[in-house]
Amino acid sequence: MRHRHPQWTAIAAAVTALTLTACGSGEPADTGGPVTLTMSAWSMKTTPEFQKLAESFQAQHPDVKIQFKEYDATNYDTQLTADLAAGSGPDLYILKNLKNFITYQGGEQLLDVSDVASGLGDKVNGIGNYKVDGVTYAVPYRQDSWYLYYNKDLFAAAGVTPPDETWTWAEYEKASADLTAGLKAAGSPAKAAYQHTWQSTVQGLALAQTKGADLGSGDYGYLAPYYKRALEQQQAGSQVDYGTATTNTLQYQAQFGTQQAAMMLMGSWYVATLIAQQKKGEAQAFQWGFAPAPQPDAGTKDKPITFGDPTGVGVNAAIDENKVAAAKKFLTFAAGEGAATALAGIGITPATLTDPVVQAYFGVQGMPADELSRFTFTTHDTRAENPVSAQTAPLQNILLETHSAIMSGSTPVDEALTKAGERARSEVLESK
Amino acid sequence: MSTTTVGGPRNTAADRTKRWYRARRSLQGVSFVLPNFLGFGLLTLGPVVALFYISFTNWNVFGKAKWIGLDNFTRLLGDASFHRALLNTLYYSAFHIPLTLALSLGLALLLNRKLRGVQFFRTAAFFPYVTSIVAIAIAWNLLFSRDAGPINQILGLFGVDDPPGWTASSTWAMPAVIIVGVWREMGYYMLLFLAGLQTVPPELHEAARIDGANAWQRFRNVTLPCLRPTTFFVTVMLTIGSFKVFDLILVMTNGGPGQSTLVLSQYIYQKGLVENRFGYASAISVVLFALCMLVTVVQFAVNRRRNA
Repeated sequence: MRHRHPQWTAIAAAVTALTLTACGSGEPADTGGPVTLTMSAWSMKTTPEFQKLAESFQAQHPDVKIQFKEYDATNYDTQLTADLAAGSGPDLYILKNLKNFITYQGGEQLLDVSDVASGLGDKVNGIGNYKVDGVTYAVPYRQDSWYLYYNKDLFAAAGVTPPDETWTWAEYEKASADLTAGLKAAGSPAKAAYQHTWQSTVQGLALAQTKGADLGSGDYGYLAPYYKRALEQQQAGSQVDYGTATTNTLQYQAQFGTQQAAMMLMGSWYVATLIAQQKKGEAQAFQWGFAPAPQPDAGTKDKPITFGDPTGVGVNAAIDENKVAAAKKFLTFAAGEGAATALAGIGITPATLTDPVVQAYFGVQGMPADELSRFTFTTHDTRAENPVSAQTAPLQNILLETHSAIMSGSTPVDEALTKAGERARSEVLESK
Repeated sequence: MSTTTVGGPRNTAADRTKRWYRARRSLQGVSFVLPNFLGFGLLTLGPVVALFYISFTNWNVFGKAKWIGLDNFTRLLGDASFHRALLNTLYYSAFHIPLTLALSLGLALLLNRKLRGVQFFRTAAFFPYVTSIVAIAIAWNLLFSRDAGPINQILGLFGVDDPPGWTASSTWAMPAVIIVGVWREMGYYMLLFLAGLQTVPPELHEAARIDGANAWQRFRNVTLPCLRPTTFFVTVMLTIGSFKVFDLILVMTNGGPGQSTLVLSQYIYQKGLVENRFGYASAISVVLFALCMLVTVVQFAVNRRRNA
């Protein structure tokens, strides 16, 4: 035993030294001294927005340091929930989906940040989603919206007029038929459109654009016209059918990026992806742009209705009291123009859209420069895909199953929607 | 270390010394098992015991769990999705268990001979078991593709005009999943059967042959009875594995189309980890546990009676 003593002494000395130095650098000199805030993030290598947020914030507030706690992208909410329940969650955390916001809010894991919200003014899109019973629990830093992406080269090859800001669904259907015929005549293997396998591609727009549609009503008749259109498009051969897309695990980025489809409805996050992929050569080089999602009628053409959920950031209710002020400073910054300009500079759609932000966004290299894309980016009425309610997650699960039943052709539209309503009532709405 | 035994008065209390030695030996035994048991207790036994408690509450991860008695279980009785998941699980098991059993035994018999390249074929049959489940799901989904998939093209060659939609059809999704499940697991159970076949005494076969028994009679009356311990083990493992099938379904069909391949484990995952209703999810887990337990107990009872 005795011969080990020197080693132990050395280790003990090293530990003491480390602890001492750690204390020395971590201890604030006075109450206004440096504060370190931990913040959740995911896939930091491929998702530059977190680093961008932190860098631009620290440039303005050198006394606050943001330290990231990285989570797995697909299991983000599960891992974060576990951390919060164990009391080891980060000081600030990103609300990746609106669907799970209620879990954190209802679980009393979010600090009341109404004072931050009231100081932000009315320029921040999507902030109302985080308000429960008059109290705001988080602020959005990005607000994505769904657009109609279109390939200008394929439209030209097919001899079809590209979309404009007044497109209704009837015009979309007509263009789709013309494209299918025109592309075939031009010898192109491309389809008129690609509809991804997600339930959002049908249900999101239907919920946003139909008057009186309510996810929590248990009445899903509003989905019928949107599903019938999707099935017709499939049958007409204007888009790859759902079964082929699921069995072949088709990627929407590849479908549009390698010119397999002339049009695609997709969220605004795809703008940055497509630009990056074109730059790297993962996507082909072609002219593209984005237009508002087609509207049910011409009545909404001045402010087209689309859908999309905000991405927000909230403060852990268990945060150290000394850090609250710094955390709120960060929230004010993240939802404001400063962060918005920085984020727009990397092709992200921020929650605040002021003129400098729009300038920064369209200053990104590779960004479409046309007027229509600019109009689409700045002018829209974006409704939430997942209205905040404890019932949203189970209802969306029922609708997900309904989506695959309808799109695979297993169940007729009306029958499937009636059944979805019955299930919603018996499993979610009428139970505790 | 050795000071404790030296002090003992050996001649006056021989019994005590003996007892001490015995205690020490069992202590040593326990200390060998302890690390494993600690891990098991901490990561498996603890959560399982907690599960039973949680199933009587409405716990949603955050905050306190409220005791709600049998509410979760009475709700299960009327939950149509749960019934669907239960039926689907039974559907999967009813085909997966006998098919895997028969095919793995068949493979084992085939590869138990002195063939050229038998090692290669044994390895090949085992490959699916060690391949990543996600890769398997993607590859099989491609094979099952309705219009361009090789499986339907081959069916077309045999004159099938309206081939099934497989994973994109609510009728055929479950058969598709069963096929992949059987294909994936038969290699593993083949290995167990191969090991079992080595224990069949060759003398018995020889005696049967001299008595004029043909190959089928020898299989029925010599091989199968000698394999019974292996068959029993394989059946129990297969049953439990089938009842809790999860990853394959999740990556291949995600329970769809509709609810056509929704199974119990996936329903538990959905309720617990997607909807954060851990109390309700735990109640379903308890039912799944009871189901596995019941079937296994029956299997043990049947096996004991046959052995008697």
